[in-house]
Amino acid sequence: MSEEIAIRVRGLATRFGPQTVHEGLDLDVRRGEILGVVGPSGTGKSVLLREVTGLDEPTAGEITFPCFEEKGVEPRLGVMFQDGALFSNLTVIENVEAPLREHTHLSPELRSEIAGLKLSMAGLGPDSHHKKPSQISGGMRKRAAVARAIALDPELLFLDEPTAGLDPISAEKFDRMTEELARSLGLTVFLVTHDLDTLHAICDRVAVLYQGKVAAIGTIPEITADAEGWVKEYFSGPRGRAAQAGVAGG
Amino acid sequence: MAETAAFDFREDERAPVLALRGDWTVDTISGLERGLAEVSEKLKAGAVVDVSGLGRFDVAGAYLIDRTFRESAAGDKGRIAIRGEHANAMRLLQAVRKSYAGPASPPRRLQGLKGVADATGRAMVSIADEIVETVGFFGETLVTIGKQIANPHRIRPVSIVSVMEKAGFNALPIVMLLSFFIGMVVAYLGARILADFGATVFVVELVAISMLREFGVVIAAVILAGRTNSSFTAEIGAMKMRQEIDAMRVIGIKPMDALVVPRVIAMLLMTPILTFAAMMAGMFGGLLVCWGALDISPAMFFGRFQEVVPAQHFWVGFVKAPAFALVLAVISCKQGLSVGGDVGSLGARVTTSVVQGIFMVILMDAIFALWFLEMDW
Repeated sequence: MSEEIAIRVRGLATRFGPQTVHEGLDLDVRRGEILGVVGPSGTGKSVLLREVTGLDEPTAGEITFPCFEEKGVEPRLGVMFQDGALFSNLTVIENVEAPLREHTHLSPELRSEIAGLKLSMAGLGPDSHHKKPSQISGGMRKRAAVARAIALDPELLFLDEPTAGLDPISAEKFDRMTEELARSLGLTVFLVTHDLDTLHAICDRVAVLYQGKVAAIGTIPEITADAEGWVKEYFSGPRGRAAQAGVAGG
Repeated sequence: MAETAAFDFREDERAPVLALRGDWTVDTISGLERGLAEVSEKLKAGAVVDVSGLGRFDVAGAYLIDRTFRESAAGDKGRIAIRGEHANAMRLLQAVRKSYAGPASPPRRLQGLKGVADATGRAMVSIADEIVETVGFFGETLVTIGKQIANPHRIRPVSIVSVMEKAGFNALPIVMLLSFFIGMVVAYLGARILADFGATVFVVELVAISMLREFGVVIAAVILAGRTNSSFTAEIGAMKMRQEIDAMRVIGIKPMDALVVPRVIAMLLMTPILTFAAMMAGMFGGLLVCWGALDISPAMFFGRFQEVVPAQHFWVGFVKAPAFALVLAVISCKQGLSVGGDVGSLGARVTTSVVQGIFMVILMDAIFALWFLEMDW
């Protein structure tokens, strides 16, 4: 991990009519790190993700990608949505091939081989390649969605609640897969989650969104050292302690 | 920006060397496959990849190198030897080698004649299933309506009225407008042909009988098939996809009670009204043409209408309305409940719903016409 900044958010404000979601939000994501974004429901974590990926326009403020813009390249983004958002009329492998088909001129064989490789990196074997998204389980859909997100070898990977709805064992495997992918491919990962185990297990740093701002950012020990209010409650509640114990014990 | 990918292959005194130059990424490697296939024939054990001239490198590039080695005599055992320094070449090559899951299996598809036979067989079976299911659903709907009439507290007046407004009342303008135009066209056509026989006054019968017996009810039903069937199927289908139907079942609400029967009853009530409106609008169109083009005043029109058009023509048309309504509503609800988990099936079911609806309206109209004519009504 370097000190280069992959994503820089400055003075971000988001308002939906009278409702303010973000107000003066600043955030730096370092290149090559896995940043976990947490916060109570309704603090605009997913909205932040949508704004950074360019799906939504913030009311004010700017979002830049300094270490890519210095080199004059636009970073490639991969996004995994909460429920996968796979194209339901395509098979799993066709879903992964879709971005390759759209943006490259690879031969069909090479394209499907690369798609198969991405699926296997995300932990899906050849037997699921030709199934429709509705024929596979939720966990497999998430894996297929990750494979599609990394199809074009993005520099930045965004994961929205990757382990929500998975059983603890699948969730742990998913975390390990995410970490392995991020480390071996040198990805910068922006991970919105509620899963304390994920935060403890794979996140280099954690950013806590609270009342429209980044209330705390740093490694978990750094955050918990002088935590108060919601942050303290979050990390030192029974679930928080259990997750920490799990990491310390295992 | 991105440098083109290239490679040199040379045989050193010790081992063959594959030297990579430029960026090897998913955007740049498309032209290299053939060249690498030739190289892969010459690679032998102990071959080395020289990455000192390599620019950007990603999984796709690494995969291509990996495949070249795997297909060569260098074999796929052990890892690929690397010469030179690079930020992530070693790491990516290892990651790719580790994740390679063997050759891909092609999708199972029957080819040629067998495939045609297979598809035909499946289509026939699905048509048969569809008929059985629809008839079964029709029966179930009738039974549920009967039960609701026996237990009037199970009737859901709020849903019924809401569907009556959306699917019935809101369709009034379009039904009347189209029927008005058809009435005008019929009158014009009739006037042109009947004028040759000096019998223009028969235009009144022509418009009245065609509108009352056939056009009024068929126009109303076809518009409902397009407008209401699609919306019923899409609504119920989307609820099915989002598991709302399952949620209803679990709570103990029968979709049949809550979704299907209110729609059927609302359609049964509204279609006759729409049919009546269509008949009137069509005759009004005919009346305007008679007045403007044939010098038949409204008073004459109504006089002749009363004199020569018996009320049975009205009833012959009108009695078809509830029959069409029932069939249309049952088809659309049945198709909605048959939607599967994916978006494709929603589209297919909406199409089927409209096509089946229009088909059934015209088929039933033909059967009714035969019956009524044989009965001399």
